Amino acid sequence: MILPPEAAFSAANSLALAGWVALLASPRFPRAAQAVAGAAAPLLLSIAYTGIILASWTRAEGGFGSLAEVMRLFDSPLVALASWIHYLAFDLLVGAAIARGAREEAIAFVLVIPCLVLAFLFGPAGFLAFAALRWTRRAARAATIQE
Amino acid sequence: MIAFAAPASATAPGLFLPRILREAFRREPLYAGAAAILAISMLPTLVAYALDDRLVVGVAAWAKPLKFEASLATYLFTLAWFAGWLPAGHVRRRPHWLLSRAVVVAVALEMAWLVGAAAHGVASHFNVESQAMVNIYRAMGALAVLLTSASAVLGIAILRARDAGGDPALRLAIGIGLVLTVVLTLPTAGYLSSGAGHLVGVEAEGARRLALFGWARDGGDLRVAHFLATHALHAIPLAGWVASRLLAAGAARMAVILCSLAYAMLVAWTFAEALAGRPFLPFLG
Repeated sequence: MILPPEAAFSAANSLALAGWVALLASPRFPRAAQAVAGAAAPLLLSIAYTGIILASWTRAEGGFGSLAEVMRLFDSPLVALASWIHYLAFDLLVGAAIARGAREEAIAFVLVIPCLVLAFLFGPAGFLAFAALRWTRRAARAATIQE
Repeated sequence: MIAFAAPASATAPGLFLPRILREAFRREPLYAGAAAILAISMLPTLVAYALDDRLVVGVAAWAKPLKFEASLATYLFTLAWFAGWLPAGHVRRRPHWLLSRAVVVAVALEMAWLVGAAAHGVASHFNVESQAMVNIYRAMGALAVLLTSASAVLGIAILRARDAGGDPALRLAIGIGLVLTVVLTLPTAGYLSSGAGHLVGVEAEGARRLALFGWARDGGDLRVAHFLATHALHAIPLAGWVASRLLAAGAARMAVILCSLAYAMLVAWTFAEALAGRPFLPFLG
């Protein structure tokens, strides 16, 4: 094995982290942040994911049919590595979409930071937080205009 | 909710595309596009190659998908490039439209089989473990003939379109090269694929091999003739390009014909040498 899974794991983490740092700097460098977090880093992670799945899928046990089968899939270190990279890539894409949406609607970045932190740590929770924030702002604005 | 689509400014008009790719896409978008997708697929295949330590017949499991992605991408890009020598509008007409789609479907099926075989760690070629494997191997052979024959069809159309402009000696070389690829590949690859393997008179698997190509250094290797036969579509046009720069029209034409004959003899010689169990240029590697 030319690339040990632990080394691939560290490299993928560093790459994703670079994307999240770019998103934190996105108010100053919006285009560069989107290029890194919305395209380059997720694409590299997707290449890694696809290659790892090609190399490991047919040898893994388990399946998608039940929770027990899915847990058996993760017994394979390469499938677990691929799944981790799957989280990294897709959470980063959600983070990039949050930064883009916040910019389009001119949402104050201090409010966006907690959403990004949540998306970084717990993907869907950050997505939910940003959706709630945006809906609340839209609702408040609509209500003010109506009066 | 949250839009994942890129902003409009990041799409077509401002798309970064090197001039040579832009030109290939203009000449034959389907072949150029399929070549680009094959080239991109090499990236995850390289990752799989780096992670997967399984061997198939003594060679890394992902070496073969990787080689075929590279060579089919080269082949389709070459066809797209030479399609520029067709008369205007030919690419959009029915016969070419149908054949090019059939070729791309054949390439997709070949790659699906090669990737699937590598993922399962089984041999994609010369696999006689079961009747199903033998049948798949035969079907893949038929698809390979189909996708190779497109080169001859294109070559004949280019040879017939003498009024479409460009240097006549170079046009002749491109047309002959494309036809010769099929004429030489069908017998060499056909013989190669119908036997038990690509080696002749080699003592042990995994012995000395030529770097990158993997050709046997201690016996005959039928893949040498297949390689040279299939690259006629590069070698003859290259000779034609040189001849058209250096020689007058009549002499350039004669040089192209002589080079084509010499190249066909070279392929025949490497084929005969491999059959006799002798390595190709043994002082290499």
